[in-house]
Amino acid sequence: MANFTKSFLNNISRTLPRLRKFFDQLTDKKNTAETEFSSASKRAVGSRLYSSEVKKCTIIPGDGIGPEISAAVQKIFAAAKVPIEWESVDVTPVRGPDGKFGIPQSAIDSVNRNKIGLKGPLMTPVGKGHRSLNLALRKEFNLYANVRPCRSLEGYKTLYDHVDVVTIRENTEGEYSGIEHEIVDGVVQSIKLITEDASRRVAEFAFQYTKENKRHKVTAVHKANIMRMSDGLFLRCCRDMAEKYPDVKFEEKYLDTVCLNMVQDPTQYDVLVMPNLYGDILSDMCAGLVGGLGLTPSGNIGLNGALFESVHGTAPDIAGKDLANPTALLLSAVMMLRYMNLNKHADIIESSCFATIKEAKFLTGDLGGKAKCSEFTNAICEKIAAASP
Amino acid sequence: MASRVILKKPLELGKILFRNQSTMSAFEIQHKTPLIKKVAAIPVALYGGRHAVTMLPGGGIGPELMGYVREVFKYAGAPVDFEVVEIGDENTDLEYALTSIKRNGVAIKGNIETKSESASVVSRNVAIRNELDLFVNVLHCKSYPGVPARQKDIDIVIIRQNTEGEYAMLEHESVDGVIESMKVVTTSNSDRVARFAFEYAKKNGRKKVTTIHKANIMKLSDGLFLETSKRIAKDYPEIEHNDMIIDNCCMQLVSKPHQFDVMIMTNLYGSIVSNVVCGLIGGAGLLSGKNYGDHYAIFEPGTRNTGTAIAGKNIANPIAMLSASVAMLKHLGHTQHAELIQRAIEKTICEEKIHTPDLGGTAKSTDVVQRIIDNILQADIRPW
Repeated sequence: MANFTKSFLNNISRTLPRLRKFFDQLTDKKNTAETEFSSASKRAVGSRLYSSEVKKCTIIPGDGIGPEISAAVQKIFAAAKVPIEWESVDVTPVRGPDGKFGIPQSAIDSVNRNKIGLKGPLMTPVGKGHRSLNLALRKEFNLYANVRPCRSLEGYKTLYDHVDVVTIRENTEGEYSGIEHEIVDGVVQSIKLITEDASRRVAEFAFQYTKENKRHKVTAVHKANIMRMSDGLFLRCCRDMAEKYPDVKFEEKYLDTVCLNMVQDPTQYDVLVMPNLYGDILSDMCAGLVGGLGLTPSGNIGLNGALFESVHGTAPDIAGKDLANPTALLLSAVMMLRYMNLNKHADIIESSCFATIKEAKFLTGDLGGKAKCSEFTNAICEKIAAASP
Repeated sequence: MASRVILKKPLELGKILFRNQSTMSAFEIQHKTPLIKKVAAIPVALYGGRHAVTMLPGGGIGPELMGYVREVFKYAGAPVDFEVVEIGDENTDLEYALTSIKRNGVAIKGNIETKSESASVVSRNVAIRNELDLFVNVLHCKSYPGVPARQKDIDIVIIRQNTEGEYAMLEHESVDGVIESMKVVTTSNSDRVARFAFEYAKKNGRKKVTTIHKANIMKLSDGLFLETSKRIAKDYPEIEHNDMIIDNCCMQLVSKPHQFDVMIMTNLYGSIVSNVVCGLIGGAGLLSGKNYGDHYAIFEPGTRNTGTAIAGKNIANPIAMLSASVAMLKHLGHTQHAELIQRAIEKTICEEKIHTPDLGGTAKSTDVVQRIIDNILQADIRPW
């Protein structure tokens, strides 16, 4: 009988779309809760999780050294008894029914369902007309802010010590809008788009991040002396947001000054927030200060979820030889744990990782050692086992 | 009437004439063919053996640094007279400055503050560069041995496009809350810069030229710039040419800067890279930048800082402005005076290590300048 009523209602609602919407609203309360999720400060995803509940996460191993380092991260997480269930997906583009290459729908569904993802290095095949995978993922989940914390690792000496900078960059618009055209033969024009919504979102996220991670200062990096209206708008949004967070110090600096000072004394900067292009360049420069892209984590925060990734290449020459360094992916995974409010586990894993590198007994090739990836992973697992009660 | 014509595009002009020959009268040929003016080189103002140079002090630390330049020139006996022009926010001031520079051909300037923040008032520095068509900015970054710096023995030349690119200052608000800013890249300007770079490399015995770009994202604009440099690189087979993406370049600069020799790039990337390299060498107060156009040259401190925070406190580093003045003397042809002052500067900075606070020392600007003057007076060779 119940079946009959359900199918009867289904049949009616199929023909009358408004009725269907009404029924959907009645029956599917979870959907409405998710659609209310609009601003960064709510972060409904994070607060919905309880630490006793096992959470599903999507993991995209990637190409080259991707599978090895993903396996290493999963092993470490298992050793730390993190309540996460991994769902592995493959994002190699497949030919869809319309002949165009795209991410397989199963991958998209998986990340949509779980809302949190960890991505390894992806190889972008040249040519063959398929969309950049990073771009597709970014559009799918509206990833509007890219966070890259750069911290000096104690065991790895570079010319710069005590670097502790976080670069937060706007991820959707700015100079990377991709709007270019050739107006006259020999004259090319590229448009840089700055909107108030995007600037406000990323500014709010920056201040929120600063407050939650107990940092002290936010610096807005801009070039408003030259690009008065565009960077002026960005700056105004940052200033408005600064007033709402009076306990966080706010300053604005020109891009040239920041570059100059960053190279001389990186300790004077704490959190930097900036539009897309400057963010790209500065975040890579800060990564260079601490030892390169092989050691820096990175997270993309969006309206519908978050994607944490390692930004280094696929290193095809050492793929499969157990020589890869999983640090970048591991630190990104730690960022993911903090985003999910699993701070205790995050702290244990992070400190074990730093302690292993500081000890310098098992270092992989890129850090100047001779250990294998598995030895490095095992060392971290031992420390975790020693640290957890 | 003596019609002075230099045919820039003889083929096109010929085509127009041949096409219209049957229908065009002599009057039409004279008035309807495109007017091409002969551009004569304006003589560098040399009155009685002394050059006249425009001086634009600018704001912040500008005026005091200009004072030091004058003093050093007095003691070195450099035959240069300065014509000081102040620029405010009025357009008339700007026009007067431009006329003065056009008359003299050479200028030395500090960084000019544009007080108004509205979008309709173009930044004064950008206006000067655009009006005089100073299409290239050369920054020769050479490490001073005695200065404390993170990296040693750097010798990089940064050649940056100076007039267009991201500094086109064309912005508009199409929809409320959405602002578009245009970045313009033209073949002719990219061509000129690339050619200048390769000629510079050839003249100064440089081995490698690197083009810095972001053509993977901005395919058309930076792609055009990159293709132009690759095309011109073919004309100079003895000079090695490669290219690098700006993010990778910044990462390499902070870890391995010695792989770079000459770098070419557009306006914004030039600003970033020149500041990074200046930081690696020791600070903003050490290097000078030269802006070249077809007819005019302007010399200024390398990183265009106004220094309002340190104005009037006698702690500004005078080396940048003095290096700019040395470059200016070389450009005007007074090589002996230029070398004299250069050697005095090097002796003060590298051997005697008299450093201002930004380099980690305790000397005042006036002390540094006094030492340089002493070194000039004690020098073995003096031109007079």
